[in-house]
Amino acid sequence: MEILGLVNYALFMAIFIAIYALLALGLNIQWGFAGLFNAGIAGFFAVGAYTSAILSTAADDGRIGGFDLHFLLGWFGAMLAAGLIAWPIGKICLRFRSDYLAIATIGVAEIIRLVIKSEPVLTNGARGISGIPRPAGDIGYMESQIAYLAIVLAVLAAAYFLVERQFNAPWGRMMRAIRDNESAAKAMGKDVEFRRLEAFIFGAALMGLAGAMFAHFNRSITPEAIDPMVATFLVWIMLILGGSGNNRGAIVGAAVVWIIWSVSEIATDRLPHEYAVQAKYIRLFLIGLMLQLVLRFRPEGLLPEPLRGDRRTSQSGTEPH
Amino acid sequence: MKTKLIALAAGLMTATALASVPAKADVKIGLIGGISGPIAAMAPAMVDAAQLAIQQVNEQGGIGDGEKLVGVVGDSACNPQNGTDAATKAVNIEGVAGIVGPHCSGAVLAAAGSVTIPASITLITPSGTSPEITSLEDKGTVFRTVPSDDYQGRALARTMKEQGYGKVAVAYLNNDYGTGLANAFKAEYVDELGGEITQFAAHEEGKASYRSNLAELVKGGADTLVIFDYGDGTGLTILRQALENGFFDKFVGGDGMKSDAIINELGAENLNAFVASSPVGEKSQSLDVFNEAFKAVGGDPDAIFVSTSYDATFLMALALEKAGGDKAGAAAAMVEVSNGEGEAILPGEWKKAKELIAAGTAIDYKGAAGDHNFDANGDVPGTYALWEVGSNGFEMLTEMQ
Repeated sequence: MEILGLVNYALFMAIFIAIYALLALGLNIQWGFAGLFNAGIAGFFAVGAYTSAILSTAADDGRIGGFDLHFLLGWFGAMLAAGLIAWPIGKICLRFRSDYLAIATIGVAEIIRLVIKSEPVLTNGARGISGIPRPAGDIGYMESQIAYLAIVLAVLAAAYFLVERQFNAPWGRMMRAIRDNESAAKAMGKDVEFRRLEAFIFGAALMGLAGAMFAHFNRSITPEAIDPMVATFLVWIMLILGGSGNNRGAIVGAAVVWIIWSVSEIATDRLPHEYAVQAKYIRLFLIGLMLQLVLRFRPEGLLPEPLRGDRRTSQSGTEPH
Repeated sequence: MKTKLIALAAGLMTATALASVPAKADVKIGLIGGISGPIAAMAPAMVDAAQLAIQQVNEQGGIGDGEKLVGVVGDSACNPQNGTDAATKAVNIEGVAGIVGPHCSGAVLAAAGSVTIPASITLITPSGTSPEITSLEDKGTVFRTVPSDDYQGRALARTMKEQGYGKVAVAYLNNDYGTGLANAFKAEYVDELGGEITQFAAHEEGKASYRSNLAELVKGGADTLVIFDYGDGTGLTILRQALENGFFDKFVGGDGMKSDAIINELGAENLNAFVASSPVGEKSQSLDVFNEAFKAVGGDPDAIFVSTSYDATFLMALALEKAGGDKAGAAAAMVEVSNGEGEAILPGEWKKAKELIAAGTAIDYKGAAGDHNFDANGDVPGTYALWEVGSNGFEMLTEMQ
């Protein structure tokens, strides 16, 4: 029982890590490649989760849909919807520089959250949507976790492969050029506004997909899930810690942060039970401390962005400065 | 730095692996609460009430064959992400026999959907009031000791109709509590009873002024304002501004509005036309017993959801005793120990209950927050009364049916 329990817990953690890794990959496209400070991850996460929920649940009188479609259609719909929502937002907000963009996107995420909470016809309001089908959900507890993990990992692998390809392609080099020196990129004839919008939409679509996978895993989605702490800032910590600009870093960061976030609670449970309630705050402290330490001692993250220029110079004998 | 971090992570995991070896054959139950989230102010008292039940069980002979009952506290932070995480840890790492919580409806739905229903673990929530929990396909494993918002909203509508209220306007807080109550109220008042609601509007919490909301609500000529909000928060602001500006003649609130803050802030003399519904313990004797016991351990028995938390934990212990420590049988046993038939068990009477269960006699738990006779969905009907403000605080006006 003990071993089976540990396996079940590990499976659960792996599923969550994969979902968070998708969010971090999406953010990596926006921040790591294109330098767009998106602080509204929770908004795109929510759009994806609710779109897929509406598309794949059985019909309900109180709200729009559900359309009872296959979950894969729901997931595609989630990506599409998150991308479509990102388009006008990006069109308007991407003219702002980094910190102003952060403020604007926080606002956008809050607007999305309030719309979801306030429109029962669309999202069933504050009650949320339950009864979302989970792929391979009818088999036993462990079996269904294994099956879901396989699906999520397959999606993550595909996303990683595609994003990594883009990163190494001319598109990735162009995005980094725009990020590092906008005027120079413009002088080279790059359409900066369009390219940044492109990165914003791609990233948002991945976040929407992660939201959909989260909703199907829990078989329900409520506005409580659109909490900026767990849906926006935790993802930022994952990317910064893992190494922004590095796709593997995003995945490693998601794994490290979630494991510490989740496992530290078991460790603090060993404290005497008088402290059981107070001990829960230790992990919030741990995450904050970890971010401080990383920013102080390793600002480039665990796996820094691969810089070709540096590699070439060191190969030719001269030390990078 | 990388090695340091990895060392930290590895250290934590090693500590966990070492620590998770069970010391002895304790029976564990998970107490999953919204400790670090938006209800952080309410959660500690709820956990304390649950711990009181566990303490009483252990003092009076323990569970099963003299084993110790242990409550494992988990943090759901009031969101599904942490709620499922805490439930997974409780079920798989701690090996709990049942879960009391999570505290918030969204966390209950997610934890039930992805953890406890697939793992066939019984879950009983003391404060998840969303009507969505009723319709979960849970194979009978999800219970709650707090009535669905749907129930209170409908009961309030019926009582108001009886009391002769006419056209009303409804203002509700835009969260699952306010929305759930308001929609149930509307369904009963308009669709079933033929009453008229002139305005039906949600508001966000924490604004300094709701005068524009009130000006909007008063259009349509209703003389009564129904407020589904919290009396120590936004509800107080709305009520004050409505009184100051004379927007409405009469005011009705849900259980959140039955707060002493309203009387303290506005004065009883200004609240002649204000009534609020609130649950009452049907057997007040049970409630008295619980209040005494909770005061003795330094708790505040008037804190919100403490009696339901206590009842949920005590019921879980009774169910596990009845099922003989069998996790899978706990859900069926939960219904048996509180179905209205058998020897009455009051809060704290663990020894008596244990002996009766051993003798095979049917028992019926009469909880501090109500009788908890579960229906087929694991829901409990509430016992509500309408309260008015008298010279000594809230006084019961009439029972609600």
